Amino acid sequence: MLRLPDREDFQNFFLIARREFVTRIRSRFFQFGTLILVVALAGYIVLQAEVISKATSTVKVGFVGPAQSLAQPLQAAAASSGLTVQVHDVSSVGAGEAQVRDGTLDALVSGQPTGPDVAVKDKLDPTVEATLDGLVKETVLNQAIAQAGGDPSTILAQVARAGIHLVQLDANATRRTQSTVVGLFVAILLYTALTLYGQFVAAGVVEEKSNRIVEILLSTVRPRQLLLGKVVGIGLVGFLQLAVLGVVAVVTATRTHAISLPSVTVEAVVAGLVWFVLGFFLYALMFAAAGSLVSRQEDLASVTTPITLIIVGTYLAFFYAAANPDAPVTIALSIIPPFAPVLMAARIATGDAQAWQVAVAVVLTLIEIVALNALAARIYENSVLRVGSRVKLLEALRGGT
Amino acid sequence: MRSVPAPGLELHGLSKRYGNLQAVRDLSFDVRPGEVFGFVGSNGAGKTTTMRIVLGTLLADVGDVLWAGKRIDFEVRRHIGYMPEERGLYPKMHVGEQLVYLAQLHGLSETAGLQSANRWLERLQLAARAKDDVQKLSHGNQQRVQLAAALVFDPIMLILDEPFAGLDPEAVDSMSEVLRERAVAGIPVVFSSHQLDLVERLCDRVAIIQNGHLVACDSVDALRARGPVRLWVDAPAAPKGWAARLPGAHVIRTDGTRVLLELAGSTDDQTVLRAALATGPVHEFRRDVPSLLDIFREAMTEGRVAAAS
Repeated sequence: MLRLPDREDFQNFFLIARREFVTRIRSRFFQFGTLILVVALAGYIVLQAEVISKATSTVKVGFVGPAQSLAQPLQAAAASSGLTVQVHDVSSVGAGEAQVRDGTLDALVSGQPTGPDVAVKDKLDPTVEATLDGLVKETVLNQAIAQAGGDPSTILAQVARAGIHLVQLDANATRRTQSTVVGLFVAILLYTALTLYGQFVAAGVVEEKSNRIVEILLSTVRPRQLLLGKVVGIGLVGFLQLAVLGVVAVVTATRTHAISLPSVTVEAVVAGLVWFVLGFFLYALMFAAAGSLVSRQEDLASVTTPITLIIVGTYLAFFYAAANPDAPVTIALSIIPPFAPVLMAARIATGDAQAWQVAVAVVLTLIEIVALNALAARIYENSVLRVGSRVKLLEALRGGT
Repeated sequence: MRSVPAPGLELHGLSKRYGNLQAVRDLSFDVRPGEVFGFVGSNGAGKTTTMRIVLGTLLADVGDVLWAGKRIDFEVRRHIGYMPEERGLYPKMHVGEQLVYLAQLHGLSETAGLQSANRWLERLQLAARAKDDVQKLSHGNQQRVQLAAALVFDPIMLILDEPFAGLDPEAVDSMSEVLRERAVAGIPVVFSSHQLDLVERLCDRVAIIQNGHLVACDSVDALRARGPVRLWVDAPAAPKGWAARLPGAHVIRTDGTRVLLELAGSTDDQTVLRAALATGPVHEFRRDVPSLLDIFREAMTEGRVAAAS
C-alpha cells in the first residue's frame, strides 16, 4: 500500500503541526517556563562572571616607608596584565601586618625598594609577586647602570625588545576549562529538553487517544501525518525555547566576559540546536509510539521510562567523555545514534569532536531516524485506536487488530 | 447542498473478530440518501464496530463497504461527518478554533471553515461560547459542539454514535431537528441509540443488530406490521370465555372485560368484529400496534432462540 504523499497530505500535516505549535506557544506553561529559564540562565552566567572577576582581579597592597616608590609602578604594570592593585598607605609595619592578618590587606611591602620585605598571610598572588620582583630587579639595575655611567632608558629599551619566543604546546588549555563547562551546559539542556519535549509528544498522543478525538482525526487524516505533524509541531516549540536560551547565553556570556572566547559559546549553541533537532526526531518518534500503546496518562510512565533511561544514560556518559575526551569508548558512544545527540553536541562544545566523527554521527542518526520512523508509524497505526488495556509491543508491531 | 447518487451506503457481508469475540457477523444493509437510519442494538452488539469499519478506522476481516456503488475509499471517508460515542474534542481548545481546525482538516479553506463554524455555532445556539475552552462547557453543550464538528465541513453523510445520550429533552429536539433537516437536504443520516421511542419518531428505517448480526432491517411501519395481527376487543356483555372459542384467534391477555387477541395468518379481523358484536355492545376494537421497543424485545428473544438452537 505504498503511496506518495499528495498536496492534501502536506496541508493536513501543516495544519496539525501548526495547531500543536500555536496551542503550546500560547500556554502559560511555555511562556512562564521560558521566562524562568532565561532569567535563571542569564543570572547564572552573570554570577559566574562576578565570581571570576572577584577571584582574580583586585589585590590590596599596603606600602610603608621608602618602598612606597614601588606603589605606582606596581599598579601600572599589574594593570597591563589585567590585574587591579589597590594601593594603601600604611603608617607602620606593625599596623600593616595586623591588617594583613585580618584580611584588610593582601600584602604589606616595607623596607628599601631595592630589597623590600613583603608580608602576606600565607601566599601572594603570583602576578603581583612576579611584577613586584621584576620592579625590584629593574630598580637595582637602574641604579647599577647609572653608577656605571650608562643611560638606563636606552639600555632598558634594549632589554625590553629582547624576549622569549613562546611555543604553545597545548593551546586549548584555557579553552578546555571553559568549554567543559559549556559542554556540560549543552548536555544538561539537551538532556532536559529532549526528555521534556519527548514526554510532551507521548502525552499528546495519549490525550488524543483517551479523549477519542483520534477517531475523528483518523477519519480524515492518515496516521502518519498525524504522528509527524505532532512531532514536528512540538519539536518546533522545543527548538524555539532552546534557541531563545542559546541567544541569551551567548549575549550574556560575551557581555559579562564570563567566557573569554565567544566562539566557544556560539559553536556550542549551534551544535546544541542542530543536535536537538536530530535527537528530538530520534526520541520523539519512540515516545509517540510508546504513548500510543496506553490509553491513560497514568499508564504513560510505564512505557516511556525505558526511553527516558536511554537519554539519562547519554547524559551520564558525558561525564566519562569529559574526563576522557579522546578515549575510544567516548568516540564510539558519541557516534552511535541512541547516544549521539547529547554526547556529540557536548563534545562539539568542548572542542573534542573531529569533523569525521560528527559526519558519521549525523549520517548514522539520520539512518536510524528513517528506520525508526517506519517502525514508530507502524506501532502507532496499529495501537492508537485500541482503547483499554495496554497494547503489547509485539502485537502493535505485528498489527492486525 | 451536495447531491448524493442514488445508492448511498451499502454494507455487504461485513465480519469482524476480536480474538475470541465475533463482534460483527455477516452484516449487510444499506442506507439511502435522504433518509434517517436508526441503528439499534444492546450494548456490545457491534454498532460501534460497524461504524468504525465504515469510517475506515477499523478494518473488516471480510466484507465490503460501498459508497455510490463503488468501494468506499479514503477520499469519500474524509467527507463523512462522524460523531464517536466517547466524545472526541480537545478539552483545552477554543470551541470556534476547534471547529475551524476540523473543517480545514476535512479540506475547507480557512475562510470557508470560519464561515461554516460560525453558521453552525449560531444554528446550535453556541455563538456566545465560541471563545471558551471546550472543557468549560456543560455536557449538553459539548455534545452540540461535537455535532457541529461533524457538520462543519458539509459532509456527504452523517454517522453518529449515540448522539442523544445524556441530552435533555430540549437538546434532543434541536438535535433531531438538525438530523431531519440534513436528511431532507439529501444526505444519508445514520445514528445509533438506545432511546427507541426517539428512533421510532425520527427514523425512516431501522436496523436491529444483536451479537454482531442483523436481526431486522426495515422501515418502522413495516417492522411494526410484521408478525401476527393483534386486536384489543372490549365486549363487556360477552359471556366468559367467548374469545377462547373464536376460530383462528387466541387470547394473549385479559384485562377486565378487555381481551387481547392474536389472529392466525388467514383470519379476517372483520370476522372477529362480527363475532364480538354478536355478543352485545363493543366499546373498543383496536389494532394493537407494537412499539419499536416491543419489536426490539421480540427480535432479541427470537435472536437468542435462534442462537441457542
